[in-house]
Amino acid sequence: MRTLIVEDEPDLLAGLLSALRDEGYAADGAADGEEGLYKAENYDYDVVVLDVMLPRLDGWEVLRRLRKTKKTPVLMLTARDTIRDRVRGLDTGADDYLVKPFELDELMARLRALIRRSASQAQAILTIGDVSIDTAARTVSRNGTEVTLTAREYALVEYLALHRGQVVTRTMLYEHLFDENDSTLSNLLDVHVSNIRKKLGHDFIATRRGHGYWVGPDV
Amino acid sequence: MIVKSIRWRLQSWHGLILVVVLAGFGFTAYEVARENQLRRIDQGLEERVARLLFRPGPRPDDGPPPTLPEGGPGGSGRGRGGGGPGHDGLSGPGRGHGEGGRGHDGPGLGRDEGGPPDRDFWRAQLCERIKQADSLDADQAGASYFILWDRAGSLLASSTNTPTGVPKPEPTRPSDRSGFRGPPDPGPGFGTTARSRAEFRELVKDMPSGDLLVVGRSIAADRRGMRQLALWLFAAGAAVLALGLAGGWWVASRAIRPIEAISATAGKIAAGDLSQRINVADTESELGRLAGVLNSTFARLEAAFANQSRFTSDASHELRTPVSVILIQTQTALSRERPAAEYRAALEACQRSAKRMRTLAESLLELARLDAGQEGMKRERFDLGRVARECVDMIRPLATERNLTIHCELPEVPCTGEAERIGRVITNLLTNAVHFNRDRGEIRVAVRAEDNTALIVVSDTGEGISAEDLPHIFERFYRADKARSGIQGRTGLGLAICQAIVEASGGTIETASRPGEGSTFTVKLPRE
Repeated sequence: MRTLIVEDEPDLLAGLLSALRDEGYAADGAADGEEGLYKAENYDYDVVVLDVMLPRLDGWEVLRRLRKTKKTPVLMLTARDTIRDRVRGLDTGADDYLVKPFELDELMARLRALIRRSASQAQAILTIGDVSIDTAARTVSRNGTEVTLTAREYALVEYLALHRGQVVTRTMLYEHLFDENDSTLSNLLDVHVSNIRKKLGHDFIATRRGHGYWVGPDV
Repeated sequence: MIVKSIRWRLQSWHGLILVVVLAGFGFTAYEVARENQLRRIDQGLEERVARLLFRPGPRPDDGPPPTLPEGGPGGSGRGRGGGGPGHDGLSGPGRGHGEGGRGHDGPGLGRDEGGPPDRDFWRAQLCERIKQADSLDADQAGASYFILWDRAGSLLASSTNTPTGVPKPEPTRPSDRSGFRGPPDPGPGFGTTARSRAEFRELVKDMPSGDLLVVGRSIAADRRGMRQLALWLFAAGAAVLALGLAGGWWVASRAIRPIEAISATAGKIAAGDLSQRINVADTESELGRLAGVLNSTFARLEAAFANQSRFTSDASHELRTPVSVILIQTQTALSRERPAAEYRAALEACQRSAKRMRTLAESLLELARLDAGQEGMKRERFDLGRVARECVDMIRPLATERNLTIHCELPEVPCTGEAERIGRVITNLLTNAVHFNRDRGEIRVAVRAEDNTALIVVSDTGEGISAEDLPHIFERFYRADKARSGIQGRTGLGLAICQAIVEASGGTIETASRPGEGSTFTVKLPRE
């Protein structure tokens, strides 16, 4: 999953990016509203975390302009928790709302929920064949036995599972699983797919030559 | 409770005053009427006596008005002989009829002969007339009665209609009048006393002859009339009182209605709705002015509350950001084992946040102290130029780092205030001048004396302040550019603190700016 954090407080931005990458998310950062809006408009992020108080372009304005072109889920961060602010945020098109200071766990849970909802998945557990994926606990098991995956491998499995029954192109995978710090020129993706097949069975991910990857539609 | 209301108190006082006024008026009216009535009765009785003593002749108008009979003593000796010119004695209109006039139909009880022998004659005549008094008064309503006593107290005569039990009056003049030779005809009222006795009014005439003549009549009818009058007065008074009370109630209600409106509005405001205002229809009236004053007070209250609420919200916002940093950094760092460099980075981030919170807390405290006026500003004499030079020296490394040139014009300018705090103001202005300057820009610092004020002028060559921001830059947490974290350690309180310090020192701080060319801050401090 690829996320964008728009936050002008450098220490907070750095902390959030680091925490998200730890969880296997691809995470981009922006330090002001203009940069945030530019990135949000030009990449298909799975979720955007947007601070309200931003230099140059405040969070409300970024959200308003973004909503003209994109439906990307947006979680607003604010230090003001008045009802008026919440109502304004939700009315402008924010999908969720979090008041500073917040717990990291809560932020992560809300981001997962937003991603699930945008993929039209209400449940936290997805089952494909003999593989089940717990998106809340971020664990994968096969025939009831937990399989250990790296964060990047899990992100790849989750992304494919959330788009099961659809062909997922390599470009999509690169865009959603790797952030601006990763090199997309490597054959990293092939390495990850190969490792997942070893752990979850060769048939779990089918390759559509010239198109991309595909996982079965079982629920 | 309701008895204590202003309306009730007004009404009570109003009613009390009304009762006193009405009672006073009624009593006076009654008394005046009674006095008049008595005087009229007495006059009637006097006339009766006159008619008894001197019966008008057939041509009553061809002589002088009747006189009272007291001429009795006649001792002057004048007028002896009927028809004499003397006017003493029972003289009257009938005098012209000569001495033959004595008799029932005569002109009156003449007093033609003085001395004791005449007295007996006069007395007999009088007794005769008294006995026939009924016929005398036949044409009169409220018939009078007459009684004559002699000095010794024996009843000489009484008219037939005399009521029983008329007490013998006490003479008012010295005892034996037999030899009395006083002035003739002393006039009406001489020796006359009036007395009221149950249903009767009587006049006691102390006759010159020494006899006591009582003339009286029943005044029962007059008394009834007076009672009627009293009743009327009472009824009218009660009606006026009722009307007055009703009117008073109405007036009080009208007068109190705006007060109740004010009270209702104030109640709503007290309950928390600060946007309520009293509806002032008539601003010229006393209550209108009161409502105006209250409204402006409410407006100030609301503004103060809004200000306070905004300040609290800003302050909590400023505190929440570093707390968020610390939370996120520590939670991320602790989520798994990390290389030492990452722990170090997390700790440094936490330290920066903690420092920022400390600066913020100190600034807030400083402002609170200045607001509360707890720490009175010290009033010391100091050289403003020297303080400014120290500040410039302190800021110079920072300026050099950013390739800024500082131009100083700092002569000795004696000034009064607290040198340390004024130094903080100058440092703050200089720090702003560094941060908001362009690269290779300039900073100008000057102090000078001007009349009774000492001036500090700090100007930069930065972006300047937009006209939109200019009025707000001294407000707490106001940031002309919203890039708060671009410059570390800035709380958004610096200029607010500067202003608070300068104003507590009795000075002023102003700013002028041209966007694109830079800003100039001017601080004026009192020299004495």
